[in-house]
Amino acid sequence: MAPLKLTPDVVSQADVTRLNRELDSLDDFFVSAKARPAGSSIAPPKLSHALEALAEENGLNLLDEKARQILADQLAAVYKEAPNFHISFAVEASPKSLERILTWMRQSIHPQLLLQVGLQPTIAAGCVLRTTNKIFDMSLRARLNSQTEYLAQLIKESVDGR
Amino acid sequence: MNTGGLILIIGSLAAAAAAFIWLGFKIQNGTPAKAAKGRKELIADAAAEDIEHIFNDDFREELRNRGRLHFEKVINDNAVFLQQDLRNTTTQLNEYMRSEITRTLQEEFKKYEQSINDAKQLAMASIQKTVETIDQQREFLEKQIKEQSNAQEERIIARFEAEMAGIFNHYIVKAIGNQIDLSDQLDFILGELEANKQAILEDIKHGAS
Repeated sequence: MAPLKLTPDVVSQADVTRLNRELDSLDDFFVSAKARPAGSSIAPPKLSHALEALAEENGLNLLDEKARQILADQLAAVYKEAPNFHISFAVEASPKSLERILTWMRQSIHPQLLLQVGLQPTIAAGCVLRTTNKIFDMSLRARLNSQTEYLAQLIKESVDGR
Repeated sequence: MNTGGLILIIGSLAAAAAAFIWLGFKIQNGTPAKAAKGRKELIADAAAEDIEHIFNDDFREELRNRGRLHFEKVINDNAVFLQQDLRNTTTQLNEYMRSEITRTLQEEFKKYEQSINDAKQLAMASIQKTVETIDQQREFLEKQIKEQSNAQEERIIARFEAEMAGIFNHYIVKAIGNQIDLSDQLDFILGELEANKQAILEDIKHGAS
């Protein structure tokens, strides 16, 4: 079985959980549809764009119970096994920007990588990435901290009148 | 002594001489032994009478006056000499006193000057010592202040350097706020991610979840 291809709509573990809930509700719908009396109206649950896109991306028919089960199992596996990073930005991340970052990560790091997005205004710019064991501070704050000596030298030169 | 007195004295002397001459003639005309004895007695009596006659009260008074005058003259002469001596002595005494006083004063002045010089030397030495002590204290204080100043400066610089990045960061955050959209930072973020890609992969590969 090919690994599940996650779409950019699926960002975090919360999204995976939500998709799983949607699949469950879809299953429930089909179970109740089977048990319904003939001629009674039926209202299918409204599916999210993320779930539809995920199913389409992976070539799965959501009307098929087996396919739904495969998707649910794979989503559970993703939830359980996929790397889950936490990334913080100085400002609220726009969906487009987040998509680009997520795409890069899934292409470069892990195809099923999940991201938990946070907000940390004190970093000024850039981001702080917390992986399984490490924290990668790629913020402007870290840049400034690393350039303290250069900044001190500049200030000293300015004070000395050079 | 006036002229009358002299005439009187001369007259008296002349009368005494005439009496002696007459008496001599009279003795030559008597008996040898008796006459000689009688002459002698007569001469003695006449001499006594003449002596009494010559040295009468006036004569004695005259002699006394002369003696008094002579004595006064001697006294006056001696007084003059005495006065002169006294003047000389006084002058010498004055000179001696002056020289002695001058010498004593000079000695005292020398001593006083020496004392002043000694006191001056002592004061100078004391002032010199005080100045040296003050200089040492000043140098010590200067050194201490400089050390403290340097230490304080280093502390301030170290603190500034430690806080500088935070200050700039805070300033930048305050200045730009939310003006920089994430899309503007994407190139930077992706570049940083690319730079840390290997480390992230290593962390995923080896890290336990």
